[in-house]
Amino acid sequence: MATVASRVASVARTWRSTYRPNDYANLLFLIPATFFFVGWQIYPIIRVFVLSFTDYKYLERNPPNFVGLQNYINALNDPLFHVGMLRAFAFTIAFVPLTILIPLVLAVLIDRVTSPWLSSFYRIVLLIPAVIPGPLVFVLWKWLFDFQIGPINTFLVEWLGLFTRQTAPQWLGGTPLSLPAVIIMEVWWGLGYHTMFFLAGLAAVPKDLSEQARIDGANEWQLFWRVIVPRLLPILSILVVLRFGTAMSVIDEYLIFGGFQRTSPTYTWTVYMYDLAFRIGDWLQGYAAAIGWLGAAVMMVFVIGMLYVFRSRD
Amino acid sequence: MAVTVQHHHRRRFPAGLIAKHAVINLGVVIILLPLIWVLLMSVKSLPESYTTNFWPRQFDFSHYGFVLTRIQTLPQNMFNSIFVTLATVAITTFCAILGGYALVHVRLPGRMLLIWLLIASLFFPTRLLSLISIYEIQRQLGLLNTVVGLIFPYVTLNLAVSILIMRGIFEQLPHELVEASRIDGCGPWRTLFLVLLPLLLNGIVVVSMVNFVGVWGEYLLAVTLTNDQATRTLPVVLASAHSGMGQWAYPRIAAVYVIAVTPGIIIFALFQRLYFKGLTEGAIKL
Repeated sequence: MATVASRVASVARTWRSTYRPNDYANLLFLIPATFFFVGWQIYPIIRVFVLSFTDYKYLERNPPNFVGLQNYINALNDPLFHVGMLRAFAFTIAFVPLTILIPLVLAVLIDRVTSPWLSSFYRIVLLIPAVIPGPLVFVLWKWLFDFQIGPINTFLVEWLGLFTRQTAPQWLGGTPLSLPAVIIMEVWWGLGYHTMFFLAGLAAVPKDLSEQARIDGANEWQLFWRVIVPRLLPILSILVVLRFGTAMSVIDEYLIFGGFQRTSPTYTWTVYMYDLAFRIGDWLQGYAAAIGWLGAAVMMVFVIGMLYVFRSRD
Repeated sequence: MAVTVQHHHRRRFPAGLIAKHAVINLGVVIILLPLIWVLLMSVKSLPESYTTNFWPRQFDFSHYGFVLTRIQTLPQNMFNSIFVTLATVAITTFCAILGGYALVHVRLPGRMLLIWLLIASLFFPTRLLSLISIYEIQRQLGLLNTVVGLIFPYVTLNLAVSILIMRGIFEQLPHELVEASRIDGCGPWRTLFLVLLPLLLNGIVVVSMVNFVGVWGEYLLAVTLTNDQATRTLPVVLASAHSGMGQWAYPRIAAVYVIAVTPGIIIFALFQRLYFKGLTEGAIKL
Protein backbone atom coordinates (compact mmCIF):
# COMPACT_ATOMS: atom_id res chain seq x y z
CA MET A 1 0.00 0.00 0.00
CA ALA A 2 2.67 2.41 1.02
CA THR A 3 4.52 1.93 -2.25
CA VAL A 4 1.33 2.51 -4.24
CA ALA A 5 0.72 5.66 -2.26
CA SER A 6 4.23 6.94 -2.75
CA ARG A 7 4.08 6.08 -6.43
CA VAL A 8 0.87 8.07 -6.77
CA ALA A 9 2.55 10.90 -4.92
CA SER A 10 5.56 10.79 -7.22
CA VAL A 11 3.31 10.69 -10.29
CA ALA A 12 1.53 13.69 -8.86
CA ARG A 13 4.88 15.42 -8.42
CA THR A 14 5.93 14.65 -11.97
CA TRP A 15 2.58 15.87 -13.16
CA ARG A 16 3.06 19.10 -11.34
CA SER A 17 6.24 19.72 -13.25
CA THR A 18 4.89 18.24 -16.48
CA TYR A 19 4.73 21.32 -18.64
CA ARG A 20 7.05 23.35 -16.51
CA PRO A 21 9.44 24.68 -19.18
CA ASN A 22 6.47 26.07 -21.09
CA ASP A 23 4.67 27.74 -18.20
CA TYR A 24 4.17 30.98 -20.03
CA ALA A 25 3.19 29.19 -23.25
CA ASN A 26 0.28 27.78 -21.29
CA LEU A 27 -1.08 31.27 -20.88
CA LEU A 28 -2.20 30.80 -24.49
CA PHE A 29 -5.19 28.89 -23.11
CA LEU A 30 -6.38 32.06 -21.44
CA ILE A 31 -6.06 34.33 -24.45
CA PRO A 32 -9.63 33.97 -25.76
CA ALA A 33 -11.15 34.63 -22.33
CA THR A 34 -8.72 37.46 -21.63
CA PHE A 35 -9.58 39.16 -24.92
CA PHE A 36 -13.25 39.46 -23.92
CA PHE A 37 -12.57 40.21 -20.25
CA VAL A 38 -10.15 43.01 -20.98
CA GLY A 39 -12.11 44.55 -23.83
CA TRP A 40 -15.60 44.50 -22.39
CA GLN A 41 -15.17 44.26 -18.65
CA ILE A 42 -11.82 45.33 -17.23
CA TYR A 43 -11.13 48.24 -19.57
CA PRO A 44 -14.66 49.70 -19.33
CA ILE A 45 -14.62 49.48 -15.54
CA ILE A 46 -11.27 51.24 -15.30
CA ARG A 47 -12.45 53.78 -17.87
CA VAL A 48 -15.60 54.42 -15.81
CA PHE A 49 -13.40 54.90 -12.76
CA VAL A 50 -11.29 57.49 -14.60
CA LEU A 51 -14.40 59.24 -15.93
CA SER A 52 -15.75 59.56 -12.41
CA PHE A 53 -13.10 62.24 -11.75
CA THR A 54 -14.11 64.32 -14.78
CA ASP A 55 -17.11 66.34 -15.89
CA TYR A 56 -17.41 64.13 -18.97
CA LYS A 57 -20.66 64.55 -20.87
CA TYR A 58 -21.08 62.09 -23.70
CA LEU A 59 -22.92 64.38 -26.12
CA GLU A 60 -20.75 67.44 -25.50
CA ARG A 61 -18.08 68.26 -28.05
CA ASN A 62 -15.63 69.91 -25.62
CA PRO A 63 -13.05 67.66 -24.00
CA PRO A 64 -13.84 66.78 -20.38
CA ASN A 65 -12.10 68.53 -17.48
CA PHE A 66 -10.57 66.86 -14.48
CA VAL A 67 -12.69 67.79 -11.46
CA GLY A 68 -11.09 65.69 -8.74
CA LEU A 69 -13.52 64.41 -6.16
CA GLN A 70 -16.23 66.91 -7.06
CA ASN A 71 -18.56 64.24 -8.54
CA TYR A 72 -18.25 62.14 -5.41
CA ILE A 73 -18.91 65.15 -3.16
CA ASN A 74 -21.94 66.04 -5.26
CA ALA A 75 -23.21 62.47 -5.12
CA LEU A 76 -22.88 62.35 -1.34
CA ASN A 77 -25.02 65.48 -1.14
CA ASP A 78 -27.49 64.38 -3.80
CA PRO A 79 -30.90 63.50 -2.30
CA LEU A 80 -31.70 61.34 -5.34
CA PHE A 81 -28.62 59.24 -4.67
CA HIS A 82 -29.54 58.89 -0.99
CA VAL A 83 -33.10 57.85 -1.70
CA GLY A 84 -31.85 55.59 -4.49
CA MET A 85 -29.55 53.75 -2.12
CA LEU A 86 -32.29 53.48 0.51
CA ARG A 87 -34.72 52.06 -2.03
CA ALA A 88 -32.17 49.47 -3.12
CA PHE A 89 -31.61 48.52 0.53
CA ALA A 90 -35.36 48.33 1.17
CA PHE A 91 -35.75 45.92 -1.72
CA THR A 92 -32.73 43.87 -0.69
CA ILE A 93 -33.74 43.53 2.95
CA ALA A 94 -37.23 42.34 2.03
CA PHE A 95 -36.19 40.16 -0.88
CA VAL A 96 -33.11 38.25 0.30
CA PRO A 97 -34.66 36.50 3.36
CA LEU A 98 -37.77 35.50 1.40
CA THR A 99 -35.88 34.17 -1.58
CA ILE A 100 -33.73 32.06 0.72
CA LEU A 101 -36.14 30.86 3.41
CA ILE A 102 -39.05 29.82 1.18
CA PRO A 103 -36.87 27.64 -1.08
CA LEU A 104 -35.12 26.23 2.00
CA VAL A 105 -38.42 24.98 3.43
CA LEU A 106 -39.49 23.67 0.04
CA ALA A 107 -36.18 21.85 -0.39
CA VAL A 108 -36.43 20.19 3.01
CA LEU A 109 -39.92 18.97 2.11
CA ILE A 110 -38.98 17.73 -1.36
CA ASP A 111 -35.93 16.01 0.05
CA ARG A 112 -38.31 13.77 2.03
CA VAL A 113 -40.46 12.78 -0.93
CA THR A 114 -39.83 9.07 -1.21
CA SER A 115 -41.36 8.35 -4.60
CA PRO A 116 -38.58 8.85 -7.17
CA TRP A 117 -41.10 9.69 -9.89
CA LEU A 118 -42.77 12.46 -7.86
CA SER A 119 -39.44 13.73 -6.63
CA SER A 120 -38.06 14.22 -10.14
CA PHE A 121 -41.38 15.70 -11.30
CA TYR A 122 -41.15 18.35 -8.57
CA ARG A 123 -37.55 19.08 -9.42
CA ILE A 124 -38.28 19.59 -13.11
CA VAL A 125 -41.26 21.86 -12.50
CA LEU A 126 -39.27 23.90 -10.00
CA LEU A 127 -36.49 24.54 -12.45
CA ILE A 128 -38.75 25.84 -15.21
CA PRO A 129 -38.60 29.49 -14.04
CA ALA A 130 -34.82 29.20 -13.82
CA VAL A 131 -34.57 28.51 -17.56
CA ILE A 132 -36.75 31.51 -18.41
CA PRO A 133 -34.44 34.49 -18.85
CA GLY A 134 -34.97 37.26 -16.30
CA PRO A 135 -36.25 40.02 -18.58
CA LEU A 136 -38.83 37.63 -20.03
CA VAL A 137 -39.96 36.88 -16.49
CA PHE A 138 -40.29 40.62 -15.84
CA VAL A 139 -42.31 41.17 -19.00
CA LEU A 140 -44.69 38.38 -18.01
CA TRP A 141 -45.14 39.63 -14.45
CA LYS A 142 -45.66 43.21 -15.52
CA TRP A 143 -48.59 41.80 -17.40
CA LEU A 144 -49.81 39.67 -14.51
CA PHE A 145 -49.79 42.76 -12.29
CA ASP A 146 -51.70 44.88 -14.80
CA PHE A 147 -54.49 46.86 -13.14
CA GLN A 148 -57.20 45.96 -15.62
CA ILE A 149 -56.43 42.74 -17.40
CA GLY A 150 -53.86 41.29 -15.01
CA PRO A 151 -54.93 37.92 -13.60
CA ILE A 152 -53.60 38.81 -10.15
CA ASN A 153 -56.18 41.52 -9.68
CA THR A 154 -58.80 39.30 -11.31
CA PHE A 155 -57.99 36.68 -8.71
CA LEU A 156 -58.19 39.18 -5.84
CA VAL A 157 -61.42 40.73 -7.09
CA GLU A 158 -63.40 37.90 -8.64
CA TRP A 159 -62.17 34.86 -6.75
CA LEU A 160 -61.35 36.18 -3.32
CA GLY A 161 -63.65 39.20 -3.42
CA LEU A 162 -61.17 41.28 -1.44
CA PHE A 163 -61.54 44.34 -3.64
CA THR A 164 -63.77 45.73 -6.32
CA ARG A 165 -62.42 46.54 -9.78
CA GLN A 166 -62.10 50.18 -8.70
CA THR A 167 -60.36 49.57 -5.38
CA ALA A 168 -58.05 46.79 -6.63
CA PRO A 169 -54.38 47.34 -5.88
CA GLN A 170 -52.32 49.45 -8.29
CA TRP A 171 -49.19 47.36 -8.54
CA LEU A 172 -47.48 49.25 -11.32
CA GLY A 173 -46.70 52.81 -12.27
CA GLY A 174 -44.52 53.81 -9.35
CA THR A 175 -47.05 53.30 -6.55
CA PRO A 176 -45.75 52.11 -3.17
CA LEU A 177 -46.91 48.63 -4.19
CA SER A 178 -44.32 48.51 -7.01
CA LEU A 179 -41.74 47.30 -4.54
CA PRO A 180 -43.73 44.31 -3.22
CA ALA A 181 -44.65 43.56 -6.84
CA VAL A 182 -41.00 43.30 -7.84
CA ILE A 183 -40.25 41.25 -4.71
CA ILE A 184 -43.05 38.75 -5.39
CA MET A 185 -41.86 38.34 -8.94
CA GLU A 186 -38.22 37.88 -7.93
CA VAL A 187 -39.09 35.29 -5.32
CA TRP A 188 -41.11 33.38 -7.95
CA TRP A 189 -38.20 33.54 -10.34
CA GLY A 190 -35.65 32.28 -7.81
CA LEU A 191 -37.95 29.73 -6.18
CA GLY A 192 -36.90 26.74 -8.25
CA TYR A 193 -33.29 27.65 -8.64
CA HIS A 194 -32.60 28.15 -4.97
CA THR A 195 -34.61 25.06 -4.05
CA MET A 196 -32.39 23.00 -6.37
CA PHE A 197 -29.40 24.52 -4.74
CA PHE A 198 -30.50 23.49 -1.27
CA LEU A 199 -31.48 20.05 -2.53
CA ALA A 200 -27.92 19.55 -3.71
CA GLY A 201 -26.75 20.55 -0.23
CA LEU A 202 -29.30 18.31 1.49
CA ALA A 203 -28.15 15.35 -0.58
CA ALA A 204 -24.86 15.65 1.30
CA VAL A 205 -26.53 15.42 4.75
CA PRO A 206 -26.27 11.76 5.78
CA LYS A 207 -29.71 10.20 6.14
CA ASP A 208 -28.84 8.24 9.29
CA LEU A 209 -27.97 11.52 10.99
CA SER A 210 -31.61 12.59 10.82
CA GLU A 211 -32.74 9.08 11.77
CA GLN A 212 -30.49 9.13 14.82
CA ALA A 213 -31.78 12.53 15.88
CA ARG A 214 -35.38 11.27 15.58
CA ILE A 215 -34.61 8.23 17.67
CA ASP A 216 -33.05 10.52 20.26
CA GLY A 217 -36.42 12.22 20.48
CA ALA A 218 -35.87 15.34 18.39
CA ASN A 219 -39.02 16.70 16.76
CA GLU A 220 -39.04 17.89 13.16
CA TRP A 221 -38.52 21.49 14.18
CA GLN A 222 -35.44 20.72 16.25
CA LEU A 223 -34.20 18.45 13.49
CA PHE A 224 -34.48 21.31 11.02
CA TRP A 225 -32.62 23.84 13.18
CA ARG A 226 -30.05 21.58 14.83
CA VAL A 227 -29.18 19.10 12.08
CA ILE A 228 -30.16 20.46 8.69
CA VAL A 229 -29.50 24.19 8.99
CA PRO A 230 -25.94 23.80 10.38
CA ARG A 231 -25.14 21.42 7.52
CA LEU A 232 -26.44 23.88 4.95
CA LEU A 233 -24.76 26.89 6.54
CA PRO A 234 -21.91 27.14 4.00
CA ILE A 235 -24.34 27.14 1.05
CA LEU A 236 -26.71 29.46 2.90
CA SER A 237 -24.10 32.06 3.65
CA ILE A 238 -22.63 32.14 0.15
CA LEU A 239 -26.15 32.44 -1.25
CA VAL A 240 -26.97 35.32 1.11
CA VAL A 241 -23.89 37.24 0.03
CA LEU A 242 -24.41 36.63 -3.69
CA ARG A 243 -28.10 37.49 -3.56
CA PHE A 244 -27.31 40.63 -1.57
CA GLY A 245 -24.99 41.68 -4.38
CA THR A 246 -27.44 40.96 -7.17
CA ALA A 247 -30.36 42.51 -5.26
CA MET A 248 -28.51 45.77 -4.59
CA SER A 249 -27.53 46.16 -8.24
CA VAL A 250 -30.86 45.15 -9.80
CA ILE A 251 -31.77 47.32 -12.77
CA ASP A 252 -33.56 45.47 -15.62
CA GLU A 253 -36.73 44.82 -13.64
CA TYR A 254 -36.84 48.40 -12.38
CA LEU A 255 -36.53 49.74 -15.92
CA ILE A 256 -39.24 47.38 -17.16
CA PHE A 257 -41.57 47.91 -14.18
CA GLY A 258 -41.12 51.53 -13.22
CA GLY A 259 -39.26 53.29 -16.03
CA PHE A 260 -37.64 56.60 -15.15
CA GLN A 261 -40.27 58.00 -12.85
CA ARG A 262 -38.28 59.54 -10.02
CA THR A 263 -40.90 59.13 -7.33
CA SER A 264 -41.25 55.41 -7.97
CA PRO A 265 -39.78 53.03 -5.36
CA THR A 266 -38.09 51.35 -8.32
CA TYR A 267 -35.99 54.45 -9.11
CA THR A 268 -32.90 53.24 -7.25
CA TRP A 269 -29.28 54.32 -7.54
CA THR A 270 -28.83 51.93 -10.48
CA VAL A 271 -31.70 53.49 -12.43
CA TYR A 272 -30.42 56.95 -11.50
CA MET A 273 -26.98 56.02 -12.83
CA TYR A 274 -28.50 54.79 -16.08
CA ASP A 275 -30.70 57.86 -16.33
CA LEU A 276 -27.68 60.17 -15.90
CA ALA A 277 -25.50 58.22 -18.33
CA PHE A 278 -27.93 57.80 -21.20
CA ARG A 279 -30.86 60.17 -20.84
CA ILE A 280 -30.39 63.32 -18.78
CA GLY A 281 -29.06 66.45 -20.50
CA ASP A 282 -25.87 65.82 -22.46
CA TRP A 283 -25.55 62.37 -20.85
CA LEU A 284 -23.68 63.22 -17.64
CA GLN A 285 -21.46 60.15 -17.75
CA GLY A 286 -18.79 61.55 -15.44
CA TYR A 287 -21.31 62.03 -12.68
CA ALA A 288 -23.02 58.72 -13.50
CA ALA A 289 -19.65 56.99 -13.18
CA ALA A 290 -19.17 58.47 -9.69
CA ILE A 291 -22.67 57.34 -8.67
CA GLY A 292 -21.91 53.85 -10.00
CA TRP A 293 -18.59 53.52 -8.21
CA LEU A 294 -19.97 54.95 -4.99
CA GLY A 295 -22.89 52.52 -5.02
CA ALA A 296 -20.55 49.65 -5.82
CA ALA A 297 -18.23 50.70 -2.98
CA VAL A 298 -21.09 50.75 -0.46
CA MET A 299 -22.13 47.30 -1.67
CA MET A 300 -18.60 45.99 -1.39
CA VAL A 301 -18.32 47.17 2.21
CA PHE A 302 -21.37 45.06 3.07
CA VAL A 303 -20.24 42.10 0.95
CA ILE A 304 -16.81 42.00 2.55
CA GLY A 305 -18.36 42.45 5.99
CA MET A 306 -20.69 39.53 5.40
CA LEU A 307 -17.94 37.33 3.99
CA TYR A 308 -15.95 38.12 7.13
CA VAL A 309 -18.84 37.25 9.43
CA PHE A 310 -19.59 34.04 7.51
CA ARG A 311 -15.95 32.98 7.16
CA SER A 312 -15.43 29.32 7.94
CA ARG A 313 -13.93 29.02 11.38
CA ASP A 314 -12.23 25.67 10.95
CA MET B 1 -37.90 2.14 22.70
CA ALA B 2 -37.36 1.90 18.98
CA VAL B 3 -40.76 0.27 18.60
CA THR B 4 -42.61 3.08 20.34
CA VAL B 5 -40.81 5.68 18.27
CA GLN B 6 -41.75 3.77 15.17
CA HIS B 7 -45.34 3.64 16.36
CA HIS B 8 -45.43 7.30 17.21
CA HIS B 9 -43.93 8.05 13.85
CA ARG B 10 -46.39 5.95 11.92
CA ARG B 11 -49.45 7.43 13.59
CA ARG B 12 -48.67 11.01 12.59
CA PHE B 13 -47.45 9.98 9.20
CA PRO B 14 -50.54 10.70 7.06
CA ALA B 15 -51.16 14.24 8.34
CA GLY B 16 -47.50 15.14 7.86
CA LEU B 17 -47.48 13.50 4.45
CA ILE B 18 -50.53 15.42 3.30
CA ALA B 19 -49.19 18.71 4.64
CA LYS B 20 -45.86 18.11 2.94
CA HIS B 21 -47.36 17.38 -0.45
CA ALA B 22 -49.84 20.22 -0.04
CA VAL B 23 -47.04 22.72 0.48
CA ILE B 24 -44.95 21.34 -2.38
CA ASN B 25 -47.92 21.32 -4.71
CA LEU B 26 -48.79 24.86 -3.76
CA GLY B 27 -45.28 25.75 -4.93
CA VAL B 28 -45.81 23.79 -8.15
CA VAL B 29 -49.12 25.56 -8.83
CA ILE B 30 -47.64 28.99 -8.12
CA ILE B 31 -44.85 28.28 -10.56
CA LEU B 32 -47.06 26.87 -13.30
CA LEU B 33 -50.09 29.19 -13.14
CA PRO B 34 -48.50 32.30 -14.68
CA LEU B 35 -47.10 30.18 -17.51
CA ILE B 36 -50.42 28.43 -18.11
CA TRP B 37 -52.16 31.81 -18.06
CA VAL B 38 -49.94 33.22 -20.81
CA LEU B 39 -50.25 30.01 -22.82
CA LEU B 40 -54.04 30.20 -22.64
CA MET B 41 -53.96 33.92 -23.46
CA SER B 42 -52.14 33.09 -26.69
CA VAL B 43 -55.05 30.94 -27.90
CA LYS B 44 -57.92 33.24 -26.94
CA SER B 45 -59.92 35.08 -29.55
CA LEU B 46 -59.33 38.83 -29.75
CA PRO B 47 -62.60 39.88 -28.08
CA GLU B 48 -62.20 37.30 -25.36
CA SER B 49 -58.69 38.48 -24.58
CA TYR B 50 -60.17 41.63 -23.07
CA THR B 51 -62.31 39.62 -20.65
CA THR B 52 -61.07 38.08 -17.44
CA ASN B 53 -61.78 34.46 -18.38
CA PHE B 54 -59.02 32.13 -17.39
CA TRP B 55 -60.04 29.24 -19.64
CA PRO B 56 -60.86 30.30 -23.22
CA ARG B 57 -64.38 29.51 -24.41
CA GLN B 58 -63.08 29.06 -27.88
CA PHE B 59 -59.56 28.21 -28.96
CA ASP B 60 -58.04 30.42 -31.62
CA PHE B 61 -54.59 29.37 -32.80
CA SER B 62 -54.31 31.98 -35.54
CA HIS B 63 -52.19 34.36 -33.46
CA TYR B 64 -49.06 32.27 -33.92
CA GLY B 65 -49.39 32.49 -37.71
CA PHE B 66 -50.13 36.19 -37.42
CA VAL B 67 -47.09 37.13 -35.35
CA LEU B 68 -44.75 35.05 -37.51
CA THR B 69 -45.93 36.53 -40.80
CA ARG B 70 -47.71 39.84 -40.25
CA ILE B 71 -45.62 41.69 -37.68
CA GLN B 72 -43.00 43.25 -39.87
CA THR B 73 -39.73 43.02 -38.05
CA LEU B 74 -40.53 40.06 -35.84
CA PRO B 75 -38.84 37.35 -37.95
CA GLN B 76 -35.79 39.61 -38.05
CA ASN B 77 -35.91 40.08 -34.26
CA MET B 78 -36.14 36.33 -33.76
CA PHE B 79 -33.25 35.76 -36.10
CA ASN B 80 -31.22 38.38 -34.17
CA SER B 81 -31.89 36.62 -30.90
CA ILE B 82 -31.05 33.18 -32.27
CA PHE B 83 -27.89 34.43 -33.96
CA VAL B 84 -26.58 36.34 -30.95
CA THR B 85 -27.41 33.50 -28.59
CA LEU B 86 -25.79 30.73 -30.66
CA ALA B 87 -22.66 32.79 -31.29
CA THR B 88 -22.29 33.80 -27.65
CA VAL B 89 -22.90 30.30 -26.32
CA ALA B 90 -20.35 28.83 -28.73
CA ILE B 91 -17.67 31.43 -28.00
CA THR B 92 -18.15 31.44 -24.24
CA THR B 93 -18.15 27.65 -24.02
CA PHE B 94 -14.94 27.53 -26.05
CA CYS B 95 -13.26 30.16 -23.83
CA ALA B 96 -14.52 28.40 -20.70
CA ILE B 97 -13.17 24.99 -21.77
CA LEU B 98 -9.72 26.44 -22.46
CA GLY B 99 -9.81 28.53 -19.28
CA GLY B 100 -11.03 25.73 -17.02
CA TYR B 101 -8.39 23.40 -18.46
CA ALA B 102 -5.64 25.96 -17.93
CA LEU B 103 -6.69 26.44 -14.30
CA VAL B 104 -6.58 22.73 -13.49
CA HIS B 105 -4.44 20.61 -15.77
CA VAL B 106 -1.48 22.67 -16.91
CA ARG B 107 1.16 24.60 -15.03
CA LEU B 108 0.22 28.22 -15.00
CA PRO B 109 1.86 31.18 -13.35
CA GLY B 110 -0.47 33.10 -11.03
CA ARG B 111 -3.16 30.45 -11.12
CA MET B 112 -4.59 31.09 -7.66
CA LEU B 113 -4.67 34.82 -8.28
CA LEU B 114 -6.71 34.26 -11.43
CA ILE B 115 -9.16 31.99 -9.62
CA TRP B 116 -9.63 34.59 -6.87
CA LEU B 117 -10.16 37.33 -9.42
CA LEU B 118 -12.81 35.26 -11.17
CA ILE B 119 -14.62 34.56 -7.91
CA ALA B 120 -14.34 38.18 -6.77
CA SER B 121 -15.87 39.36 -10.05
CA LEU B 122 -19.04 37.42 -9.18
CA PHE B 123 -19.58 39.70 -6.18
CA PHE B 124 -18.96 42.96 -8.00
CA PRO B 125 -21.65 44.75 -10.06
CA THR B 126 -19.50 44.53 -13.17
CA ARG B 127 -22.34 44.44 -15.67
CA LEU B 128 -23.82 47.64 -14.33
CA LEU B 129 -20.64 49.69 -14.02
CA SER B 130 -19.06 48.68 -17.33
CA LEU B 131 -22.21 49.61 -19.22
CA ILE B 132 -21.40 53.34 -19.30
CA SER B 133 -18.16 52.85 -21.19
CA ILE B 134 -19.23 49.83 -23.24
CA TYR B 135 -21.50 52.21 -25.13
CA GLU B 136 -18.48 54.35 -26.02
CA ILE B 137 -16.36 51.32 -26.96
CA GLN B 138 -19.05 49.97 -29.24
CA ARG B 139 -19.38 53.33 -30.95
CA GLN B 140 -15.64 53.59 -31.53
CA LEU B 141 -15.58 50.08 -32.97
CA GLY B 142 -18.59 50.84 -35.16
CA LEU B 143 -20.57 48.16 -33.35
CA LEU B 144 -23.31 50.40 -32.02
CA ASN B 145 -26.77 49.41 -33.24
CA THR B 146 -25.49 46.16 -34.76
CA VAL B 147 -26.47 42.64 -33.82
CA VAL B 148 -22.91 41.28 -34.15
CA GLY B 149 -21.70 43.95 -31.73
CA LEU B 150 -23.84 42.57 -28.92
CA ILE B 151 -21.85 39.32 -28.93
CA PHE B 152 -18.72 40.90 -27.42
CA PRO B 153 -20.22 42.22 -24.17
CA TYR B 154 -22.53 39.19 -24.02
CA VAL B 155 -19.58 36.79 -23.90
CA THR B 156 -18.30 38.46 -20.73
CA LEU B 157 -21.68 38.33 -18.93
CA ASN B 158 -21.30 34.73 -17.77
CA LEU B 159 -17.70 34.05 -18.70
CA ALA B 160 -16.31 34.06 -15.16
CA VAL B 161 -18.96 31.68 -13.90
CA SER B 162 -18.54 29.47 -16.98
CA ILE B 163 -14.79 29.16 -16.44
CA LEU B 164 -15.37 28.31 -12.77
CA ILE B 165 -17.94 25.66 -13.71
CA MET B 166 -15.56 24.11 -16.24
CA ARG B 167 -12.81 24.22 -13.65
CA GLY B 168 -15.06 22.19 -11.34
CA ILE B 169 -15.65 19.65 -14.10
CA PHE B 170 -11.94 19.40 -14.94
CA GLU B 171 -11.15 18.81 -11.28
CA GLN B 172 -13.31 15.68 -11.41
CA LEU B 173 -11.13 14.21 -14.17
CA PRO B 174 -8.26 12.06 -12.89
CA HIS B 175 -4.77 13.51 -13.28
CA GLU B 176 -3.64 10.02 -14.29
CA LEU B 177 -5.51 10.49 -17.55
CA VAL B 178 -3.56 13.64 -18.34
CA GLU B 179 -0.37 11.93 -17.24
CA ALA B 180 -1.01 8.89 -19.44
CA SER B 181 -1.74 11.12 -22.38
CA ARG B 182 1.50 12.99 -21.77
CA ILE B 183 3.48 9.75 -21.68
CA ASP B 184 1.88 8.84 -25.00
CA GLY B 185 3.44 12.00 -26.35
CA CYS B 186 0.49 14.37 -26.43
CA GLY B 187 1.08 18.02 -25.69
CA PRO B 188 -1.38 19.96 -23.54
CA TRP B 189 -3.49 20.96 -26.55
CA ARG B 190 -3.85 17.46 -27.96
CA THR B 191 -4.54 16.12 -24.47
CA LEU B 192 -7.40 18.56 -24.14
CA PHE B 193 -9.02 18.02 -27.53
CA LEU B 194 -8.39 14.30 -28.05
CA VAL B 195 -8.52 12.85 -24.55
CA LEU B 196 -10.51 15.13 -22.26
CA LEU B 197 -13.09 16.79 -24.50
CA PRO B 198 -15.46 13.79 -24.71
CA LEU B 199 -15.52 13.65 -20.90
CA LEU B 200 -16.69 17.23 -20.54
CA LEU B 201 -20.24 16.76 -21.79
CA ASN B 202 -21.94 17.57 -18.45
CA GLY B 203 -19.96 20.73 -18.08
CA ILE B 204 -20.58 21.81 -21.65
CA VAL B 205 -24.32 21.30 -21.18
CA VAL B 206 -24.38 23.36 -17.97
CA VAL B 207 -22.23 26.15 -19.37
CA SER B 208 -24.31 26.29 -22.54
CA MET B 209 -27.53 26.43 -20.53
CA VAL B 210 -26.26 29.15 -18.23
CA ASN B 211 -25.18 31.23 -21.20
CA PHE B 212 -28.28 30.46 -23.19
CA VAL B 213 -30.52 31.69 -20.38
CA GLY B 214 -28.32 34.73 -19.78
CA VAL B 215 -28.17 35.83 -23.40
CA TRP B 216 -31.49 34.72 -24.89
CA GLY B 217 -33.32 37.12 -22.61
CA GLU B 218 -30.67 39.82 -22.12
CA TYR B 219 -32.33 43.22 -21.94
CA LEU B 220 -30.13 45.97 -20.47
CA LEU B 221 -27.27 45.88 -23.00
CA ALA B 222 -29.58 45.20 -25.93
CA VAL B 223 -31.88 48.11 -25.14
CA THR B 224 -28.91 50.42 -24.60
CA LEU B 225 -26.73 49.41 -27.55
CA THR B 226 -29.35 49.04 -30.30
CA ASN B 227 -32.11 51.39 -31.29
CA ASP B 228 -33.55 50.32 -34.66
CA GLN B 229 -36.46 47.95 -34.55
CA ALA B 230 -34.58 45.73 -37.05
CA THR B 231 -31.52 45.31 -34.82
CA ARG B 232 -33.47 44.58 -31.66
CA THR B 233 -33.71 41.22 -29.98
CA LEU B 234 -36.89 39.48 -28.80
CA PRO B 235 -36.80 40.58 -25.14
CA VAL B 236 -36.49 44.24 -26.07
CA VAL B 237 -39.36 43.93 -28.54
CA LEU B 238 -41.48 42.14 -25.96
CA ALA B 239 -40.71 44.65 -23.23
CA SER B 240 -41.82 47.51 -25.46
CA ALA B 241 -44.88 45.73 -26.85
CA HIS B 242 -47.17 46.37 -23.93
CA SER B 243 -49.88 48.38 -25.58
CA GLY B 244 -52.49 45.70 -26.14
CA MET B 245 -53.57 47.32 -29.41
CA GLY B 246 -53.44 46.39 -33.11
CA GLN B 247 -50.62 44.08 -34.05
CA TRP B 248 -49.72 43.92 -30.37
CA ALA B 249 -53.15 42.79 -29.17
CA TYR B 250 -52.80 40.72 -26.00
CA PRO B 251 -53.07 37.23 -27.53
CA ARG B 252 -50.44 38.19 -30.08
CA ILE B 253 -47.99 39.37 -27.43
CA ALA B 254 -48.74 36.14 -25.59
CA ALA B 255 -47.98 34.12 -28.73
CA VAL B 256 -44.62 35.88 -29.13
CA TYR B 257 -44.01 35.25 -25.47
CA VAL B 258 -44.70 31.54 -25.76
CA ILE B 259 -42.42 31.37 -28.79
CA ALA B 260 -39.68 33.14 -26.81
CA VAL B 261 -39.93 30.98 -23.70
CA THR B 262 -40.46 27.54 -25.23
CA PRO B 263 -36.95 26.87 -26.64
CA GLY B 264 -35.36 27.18 -23.20
CA ILE B 265 -37.87 24.84 -21.61
CA ILE B 266 -37.49 22.27 -24.42
CA ILE B 267 -33.69 22.38 -24.31
CA PHE B 268 -33.81 22.02 -20.55
CA ALA B 269 -36.22 19.08 -20.77
CA LEU B 270 -33.94 17.33 -23.29
CA PHE B 271 -30.77 17.82 -21.31
CA GLN B 272 -32.08 17.89 -17.74
CA ARG B 273 -30.28 14.70 -16.69
CA LEU B 274 -26.91 16.00 -17.89
CA TYR B 275 -27.77 19.43 -16.55
CA PHE B 276 -28.43 18.25 -12.99
CA LYS B 277 -25.33 16.07 -13.08
CA GLY B 278 -23.16 18.89 -14.33
CA LEU B 279 -24.72 21.30 -11.84
CA THR B 280 -23.79 19.14 -8.86
CA GLU B 281 -20.31 18.46 -10.25
CA GLY B 282 -19.53 22.00 -11.30
CA ALA B 283 -21.32 23.14 -8.12
CA ILE B 284 -20.32 26.80 -8.15
CA LYS B 285 -22.95 28.40 -10.40
CA LEU B 286 -25.26 30.55 -8.34
